[in-house]
Amino acid sequence: MFFLRELTHTILLHPSYFGAQLEDYLRQKLYEDVEGTCSGKHGYIISVITISDIGEGKIMPSTGQAKFKTTYTAIVMKPFKGEVVDGKVVNVNKMGFFAMVGPLQVFVSCHLTHSDMKYDPNASPPCYRSNDEIIQKDTKVRMQIVGCRVEANDIFAIGTIKKDFLGQIRED
Amino acid sequence: MSDDERMDTGDFEGGDYEQDYLDPDTLNYENEDGENGENEEEGLNAEVDETMIVESNAPQDGERQRTGKAAKPNEIRVTTPYMTKYERARVLGTRALQISMNAPVLVPVEGETDPLEIALKELAAKKIPLVIRRYLPDNSFEDWKVEELIIQE
Repeated sequence: MFFLRELTHTILLHPSYFGAQLEDYLRQKLYEDVEGTCSGKHGYIISVITISDIGEGKIMPSTGQAKFKTTYTAIVMKPFKGEVVDGKVVNVNKMGFFAMVGPLQVFVSCHLTHSDMKYDPNASPPCYRSNDEIIQKDTKVRMQIVGCRVEANDIFAIGTIKKDFLGQIRED
Repeated sequence: MSDDERMDTGDFEGGDYEQDYLDPDTLNYENEDGENGENEEEGLNAEVDETMIVESNAPQDGERQRTGKAAKPNEIRVTTPYMTKYERARVLGTRALQISMNAPVLVPVEGETDPLEIALKELAAKKIPLVIRRYLPDNSFEDWKVEELIIQE
């Protein structure tokens, strides 16, 4: 699920960047530092919307660097248990398959697929096959998240397709 | 030392001081008399003497400014306007370190290469872009720009 969140980020600025373009540089550095990162607490930071406060610089003793505490609003993505997401399969093996939902990696175990779905290691590329569905690399799938593993700087999710209306999404 | 002297001469914000101490009293009276002493909208307080309102406001502001607890510098500054030798040493050291790390120099260097010498030159020209934060015993603080402090040799 996507949220708009007010976040803070601390930037340490080397003295060689002091000068007229200091603020531009700080903004650029904030975008570089923050966008695309993930924290377990907030989720994936997709994009910075506004920079509300760039803060006063504070000189760090003995290093001469300036510390800026910036606050900004960003779009964050955080997966939740029970959420239904669409993703693209990136890897298929005998234990199940991995799908990417934007930056989030979701693993769907073979036990959480329909019972008639079988792993076919001889196909190229390897795939899961049932009467009316084929899941292989680059297939679009709809999954329900059944659990999230949250680490300090990463989030992994476990998904299921063993429910109605989940599984392969057909283009038509 | 220099603090006390300044106080005695009375040219260093002595007036504000007195006002501050008087303020709490006037403020309290104001609140008891008119029900809404806090928001002094014109319509409601028409009957209250206007000078009273102004006075009560001034102290209220003063109160808030002087505590300065929440990362806000005190508005009324009471410390010495002279730069102490410790501040001078810290400012020069910090600035020289920054210059040695390629910070843009704000005075013509005229062939000078020693960062400390350049920092001294900047201090003499009052061009050091730093602010000294003086903490007081109650953890409030005052911000003084280096350029506004009086430097003695």
